[in-house]
Amino acid sequence: MIHLLPYQIPWFVSGPAIGLLVVGLYALVNRPLGASGAYVQTIEFFRGGVVAEPWRVWYLAGILAGGLAAALLRGGPITGFAYGPLGHALPMILLVPVLFGAGTLMGYGARWMGGCTSGHGICGTSALSPASIAATSTFFGTAIVVSVALDLVTGGAL
Amino acid sequence: MNRLGFAFGMAFGFFIDAARMSDPGIIHKALLFQSAYMFLMMGSAVAVAMPLLLFLKRKSWTTPLGGPLSIKPAKIERKHIYGGMVFGTGWAVACTCPAPALTMLGSGGVLGLFVVAGLFFGLRLRDVVTERSQERAVAPARSPEPSHLPAGAVADL
Repeated sequence: MIHLLPYQIPWFVSGPAIGLLVVGLYALVNRPLGASGAYVQTIEFFRGGVVAEPWRVWYLAGILAGGLAAALLRGGPITGFAYGPLGHALPMILLVPVLFGAGTLMGYGARWMGGCTSGHGICGTSALSPASIAATSTFFGTAIVVSVALDLVTGGAL
Repeated sequence: MNRLGFAFGMAFGFFIDAARMSDPGIIHKALLFQSAYMFLMMGSAVAVAMPLLLFLKRKSWTTPLGGPLSIKPAKIERKHIYGGMVFGTGWAVACTCPAPALTMLGSGGVLGLFVVAGLFFGLRLRDVVTERSQERAVAPARSPEPSHLPAGAVADL
């Protein structure tokens, strides 16, 4: 096994690198580096509808490939059914529907507000868009409140 | 264009996974303020992108593939708040979001598949709900049936 990557690269490498990718995509294509928008294009692709931005379907496939590439450079993909504290707290038969439900909430919310952590949280905020700053503050605030509440209710299990 | 999209996606996915944002345990720690990594990463991404985007805007940059750079700040609407609350709730439970769910799957985290499936379902569900409410809004205008209801009454009670 090769280990070309440490377990976690420092934030001052990953953060600025992602910032440069945001700038690069705006500078070349005039589009934000948003993941949920790419999901929407992919849905249209599979429904046989009009795909306004086909390159974003490739972008989505690229994210998947990028995850695999990093895992290989770290010393092989960590295949498994681990899922952080939630994986420890719930049996598989509950974990699967809870994850699907949480994914549904994120999808619904992202479509509603018109972006997600990448589109609003990084791109829109970097572009100083008031809507993105409001959306980002709301989902960060909500996520922190819900996380702390779950932690308290479950006695620190979550 | 498609190759460029794939390359940007791959680079983005690579750095997300190299930062271990694919691991729900790490995002969980961030949301409970037990780890500063995620905040420092996102903050430094914005700190690098913001001045460079301002610079490009000031130079009236013309993009080679998408015409003149048009980054328009959007006004705050209710949808940004409501959508943000729904999204934030899902984020707190799954401890991942649309891009890291994909890198989780790509790097071997099998359970990311269920989150990704939920994301596709939720994104589509929102569109269906929006389409239905729009249909309902234009339906009375399209079918002018003689109505015994007083003017302005809500027809679909």
